[in-house]
Amino acid sequence: MMDELELLKKDWQKKDDHLPKLSYDQIYKMIWKKSSSIVKWIFYISLIEFVFWAGINIIFSDPESMQELKAMHIYNTMMVLNFVNYAVILYFIYKFYKNYRKISFTDSSKKLMKTILDVKKTVTQYVWFNLIIFTITLVISIYGVFIYGPEGRQIIEAATQEGSETTFWIMIIIVSIVFTAVLLLLIWLFYKLLYGILLKRLKENYNELKKLEV
Amino acid sequence: MNKELEHRFVTELENNQNIVHKVCSLYTNNRDAHNDLFQEITIQLWKAYPKFRGDAKFSTWMYRVALNTAITLYRKSKKRVQTQDYDSVIFKIKTDEYDDTEEKQLKLMYNAVRQLGDIDKALVFLYLEDKDYAEISETLGITEVNARVKMNRVKNKLRTILNP
Repeated sequence: MMDELELLKKDWQKKDDHLPKLSYDQIYKMIWKKSSSIVKWIFYISLIEFVFWAGINIIFSDPESMQELKAMHIYNTMMVLNFVNYAVILYFIYKFYKNYRKISFTDSSKKLMKTILDVKKTVTQYVWFNLIIFTITLVISIYGVFIYGPEGRQIIEAATQEGSETTFWIMIIIVSIVFTAVLLLLIWLFYKLLYGILLKRLKENYNELKKLEV
Repeated sequence: MNKELEHRFVTELENNQNIVHKVCSLYTNNRDAHNDLFQEITIQLWKAYPKFRGDAKFSTWMYRVALNTAITLYRKSKKRVQTQDYDSVIFKIKTDEYDDTEEKQLKLMYNAVRQLGDIDKALVFLYLEDKDYAEISETLGITEVNARVKMNRVKNKLRTILNP
């Protein structure tokens, strides 16, 4: 056994010449790669998310539901909203991509720190935008259902007959607000989970860079 | 200050990169995994570098961080690593350099080392790097006696693998 190990040791020592040799620049670039891979994931996830929601949208855009939207007189508004939504999300994806490119070619820690902050800002804006567009969509839908939807009309008629229309509307508004708030909270949690973990790691990198700075 | 630190770190790593390459060869099976591990070790080294105050030799410190990184990564992906694809740089044995029996013996030995657990591998690695027990124990954070006992066990394990 000892002989074999000694033989192995001798062989091992000879291996040095066959090892890969990285240049100063190659190693230098590696120091910055960590942040870049996180930002890359933010970009990928935003893409996947986009495809996912667009897919859901297309699946539910059958002629029947289009007819329903038209009947509720919110078809045009919804289409405009959809258009704005996709335009802005594409813009965000483009920004995520640009951040990723920027971070991949960063050669100083100062610039890297700035890019990390940019990424954080972009993600926060992106989440806020999604929450706002969701709220608008929901409010318009609730409005459409109650003013023009067949069920809504029935409910309103029943309430008017009971003679308590004001109470009814107050109730509707309160229920809508609570409903929206719960959904918003869920979506917010979803984003917190999806991007929060990545942002946290990015923040850790940022803090490390900051420590080096002083 | 920061630039200076960067420069010093990259220069030292560039000069000592063989250590990291060797660790990578031992703990990975193909070129991609090798590069990934090298990258990861580089990042860990860079993270830890501000705390490195030169109380140990740069290389000793590197052995420690590199092995720790390899062991942690190896633990995470234990299932994945078990493929029998010996495509790494270290394990390619040049045919013309050795006579047949010696070459065969070496191949068997390398294969046996590959089958060892993560910590045992680290021990063998330091042994192959010609470290004495004092340095092995310092690098792995165990006592010298413990290192000796462990190394004997590893030798027994290798023996069992070679002669089942």
